[in-house]
Amino acid sequence: MKKLVVIGAGMASGRVLEHLFERDPDAFEVTLFNAEPRGNYNRIMLSPVLSGEKSYEEIVIHDDAWYAQHNVTCRFGEKVAAIDCARKVVIGENGEVPYDKLIIATGSAPFIIPVDGHDLPGVITYRDLEDTNAMIETAGKPGASAVVIGGGLLGLEAAAGLRLRGMDVTVVHLAGHLMERQLDESAGYLLRKDFERRGIDVLTSASTKAIVGNGRVEGIELQDGTTIRADLVVMAVGIRPAAQLAREAGIEVGRAIVVDAQMATSDKDVFAVGECVEFQGALFGLVAPLYDQAAVLAENLLGGEASFVPKELATKLKVTGVDLYSAGDFNQGDDREEIVLRDATAGVYRRLVLEDNRIVGAVLYGETADGPWFFDMIKSGADISDMRDTVIFGQAYQGGEPLDPMAAVAALPDEAEICGCNGVCKGKIVNVINDKGLTALDDVRAHTKASSSCGTCTGLVEQLMVLTLGDKYNPAAVQPMCGCTDLGHDDVRRLIVAKELKSIDAVMQELEWKTSCGCAKCRPALNYYLVCDWPDEYADDYQSRFINERVHANVQKDGTYSVVPRMWGGVTSSTELRAIADVVDKFDIPTVKCTGGQRIDMLGIKKEDLPAVWADLGKAGFVSGHAYAKGLRTVKTCVGTDWCRFGTQDSTGLGVRLEKFMWGSWTPAKVKLAVSGCPRNCAEATCKDVGVVCVDSGFEIHFAGAAGLEIKGTEVLCQVRTEDEALEYIVALTQMYREQARYLERIYKWAKRIGYDEVRRQIVDDPERRKAYFDRFVFSQKFAQVDPWSERVSGKDKHEFKPMATLSLEAAE
Amino acid sequence: MDVALAEPIRTFIEISEIWVPEGDRLVQAGGNYGGYGEFAAASGRESFAKGEGLPGKAWQEARPVVLKQFDGSYFKRTEAARAAGLTSAVAIPVFAAETLKAVLVLLCSDDDVRTGAIEVWAETDGLLMLEDGYYGAARHFEWVSQHTHFPRGQGLPGGVWAANTPMLMRDLGSGYKFIRADSAGRAGLTTGLGLPVPVPGGRTYVLTLLSARGTPIARRFELWDARASRVGVNKEAVLADGICAREGPLWDEDNPKRIAAWQGHIGKVLGTGLPVVEQGGAGIGPGYDTVVALPIYHGDTIAHVVAWYC
Repeated sequence: MKKLVVIGAGMASGRVLEHLFERDPDAFEVTLFNAEPRGNYNRIMLSPVLSGEKSYEEIVIHDDAWYAQHNVTCRFGEKVAAIDCARKVVIGENGEVPYDKLIIATGSAPFIIPVDGHDLPGVITYRDLEDTNAMIETAGKPGASAVVIGGGLLGLEAAAGLRLRGMDVTVVHLAGHLMERQLDESAGYLLRKDFERRGIDVLTSASTKAIVGNGRVEGIELQDGTTIRADLVVMAVGIRPAAQLAREAGIEVGRAIVVDAQMATSDKDVFAVGECVEFQGALFGLVAPLYDQAAVLAENLLGGEASFVPKELATKLKVTGVDLYSAGDFNQGDDREEIVLRDATAGVYRRLVLEDNRIVGAVLYGETADGPWFFDMIKSGADISDMRDTVIFGQAYQGGEPLDPMAAVAALPDEAEICGCNGVCKGKIVNVINDKGLTALDDVRAHTKASSSCGTCTGLVEQLMVLTLGDKYNPAAVQPMCGCTDLGHDDVRRLIVAKELKSIDAVMQELEWKTSCGCAKCRPALNYYLVCDWPDEYADDYQSRFINERVHANVQKDGTYSVVPRMWGGVTSSTELRAIADVVDKFDIPTVKCTGGQRIDMLGIKKEDLPAVWADLGKAGFVSGHAYAKGLRTVKTCVGTDWCRFGTQDSTGLGVRLEKFMWGSWTPAKVKLAVSGCPRNCAEATCKDVGVVCVDSGFEIHFAGAAGLEIKGTEVLCQVRTEDEALEYIVALTQMYREQARYLERIYKWAKRIGYDEVRRQIVDDPERRKAYFDRFVFSQKFAQVDPWSERVSGKDKHEFKPMATLSLEAAE
Repeated sequence: MDVALAEPIRTFIEISEIWVPEGDRLVQAGGNYGGYGEFAAASGRESFAKGEGLPGKAWQEARPVVLKQFDGSYFKRTEAARAAGLTSAVAIPVFAAETLKAVLVLLCSDDDVRTGAIEVWAETDGLLMLEDGYYGAARHFEWVSQHTHFPRGQGLPGGVWAANTPMLMRDLGSGYKFIRADSAGRAGLTTGLGLPVPVPGGRTYVLTLLSARGTPIARRFELWDARASRVGVNKEAVLADGICAREGPLWDEDNPKRIAAWQGHIGKVLGTGLPVVEQGGAGIGPGYDTVVALPIYHGDTIAHVVAWYC
């Protein structure tokens, strides 16, 4: 009988032995080394053991009786010191064992981030039963808290298990969303929401700086300075193949032990399987390919000819109550399309990525029953042209009639609840529509309250209106934001506030976006709405901004940029002018021009020079003029009473004050102000978004002017007596516009749409509301008045300013 | 394995019975009365209006109800219960959305050794607090439980609440060292089944059945997942978890056992939408005499079925 020695009693080598004993129990005399003091157990089920939902005994694959039955000589708890390939012996701690064939199945070792404190007691990895028991032990301390570094599969399973054990748990994840290798952002959002619902804190885009503690771990410190208390730190940031033994034996090792398709290493009598192998440059961490490798190796050891072929992999997370499924490649690409299905109420998200009418990737959250079906189609490369319209609904819907959502609504009984928020049933809605002759959604909302709270049922209510009214109902009155949603801007704005949606991912899921990531139309709009509504909580997503707002300069037709520093109220000084002149000379700026907004524009600056230009301007006291922004641009002034014989008020002073108060604020579209010192109106205040015309008795406030593609004189808002009042009214008006207008809608269009009298009613006639608008603007400014130029001089978004081979002009304003 | 392997002398629950609505009353629709023939006969003659008796109270109040003393209470079968030595009962309403499908009643008898726990946890101010529970001889554990609360995601009740699924815990005595664990260990409690009890109005209730080695609630537990999101649109269920004193683990991550409507006791629950309590018969499986299978609804569809066998 030939001698087979196996190093490592993990799942891969265990499966090899099962195949061998099944096929030819007498083929080999087996000696099995394992560094752990036990045999083969289902390592991927350690998470339920940690949570208490399984016992260790349940996950044992091969017990003592099994090894005895197959005459396996077990050397458990004994490390292998070396392999001598020349003599064909394995050298264990307790002596040598000769082999005819050797299988290396040493698996992998967890990766440890080499930050300060990584070796403190209480910092553990998550790999084996000892780690699991250590976590259970620590969880027994009253009030204990844990930090899990790594929001991948293993880290999240550990976090959920520790939470079940009673710990306060924080997950710290470097990437922008959880499980970024298996999930897209939308599914990552749902997963995060689920974990937060379990009482687990989740920090994404969070980098660990150090693990702190005096003799034992006490917490971690993040790069941004945040500290988190912890009695236990679990590092679950990845694995590294354990190939050292093979390397020392002279076997070829790359990132792992290099094997061919027969699982043979560079030594013909030495084979390797599992996480320790590298095949055609690929490493393996999930169990499915390891079992494939095991079958191939067993076949070849018994004289057969089998070859390992890597296959597509699917991922599941073993956290009770979380249903997610991810398979294939779900990255975007020019040659790829996607089909997305969302059900906000049920917390369902499905996304299929197609290439040439074939599914190449699938991400399912909340509903995973069709996961294996999609996975089969990914593996087979099936052409789905014939079921393209229905494939997203799953296997059960193929071959029959196309889904008709109207039929489903029609079939609902009268007592079926349509609006869960307000408890409104179908019968009531239909009756009100008929009895009152309602033809508009707003009327139905007013009479029944259906769809008036969270808005999730709006689609259902509209379908009921179509069913009841037929062609008398005209839903086309609402223009969708873009092709990604059926909702208009106003509904989206309303729902962001009503449902407290505070991220783009949240908006897209809860409002059932039809695409996975939105588009160039909706993302900038959503980004603005979220910045406006949650100034202290929402983190501006610069990827959702147009190029000018990303680089804080205006791209020109030759790909260079123009830079306009802020000149408060159009007032400058010799020092400022000298600084500008120096910058122009130093960077060889070809054109310098005065703008219509009383500022100086430097044109023709190379992108990579922008931070240096800003640095020099910053030293002279300049901040960004936001000449590129959907925000406050300029406050144009005349010289007023300081110099002008006709001036009635200090128009320059008011202009400077307004600009210093309002700069930095983001608005739906650009906002330009002007203050004229007298009715002669030298600052042209009566064609601005907001204008002030000073008069002897005070300040006449104007709004809704335009002097661009359209020419329109302003409307008079009101007249006030003092500068303070003028500031309050203008700021309140601007905030009202910020909160109510649609993205890219200028003030004059917004005011016309909602009615000039409505603006006056809210700003002039309602002091409480005016004050509230003012206060919200002031609050928002606490987070907005940060000079973007100085931020970028300090290194923020520095990748944006690296030289590029070509520059796209398509997003230029 | 923490589930007792030895044949139990006595089980913690003596009687399980089902009451279903018929018109405006609840009528008996099955039960396992063991050797309590007279109580069975008395029950067969009984029916309950809404608010009447223990099943009627669970119906009216739309919540699980624990009753630990029959004398002087609203319990209608007090004399028969006294004669049978029954002292406590728990009524669990089964609602499909707003509609009552059935009430499952579990009856127990007191003695100095019989240990276990049937607990009702309810959400109050963002925490699960013990609404009531029956503990048999586990007096200290009862006291500890009365002074314990669970946030979302913590412990068996908090885990069920967060996941909105039934859960089966294996090591109550060794795992949750500061949440009742010392006391649970001393009481011999090992295996815990937790399940959500959905009721109209949306208040969160979690029922836990904690089983001890000596007087187990059951020797076999099964959790079946029947959600369309897991099994598709057909009336089917997969065995998501389970443990058996005779067969060991019942779960199979890769190839979970699947059952269709009307196939066996679990299939009967899927088909009828009602709980099943059966005694005897080949369908229960070797080594077991009784089965209780309870549907758990999400809205008006069955999401899970939990079953326990003695």
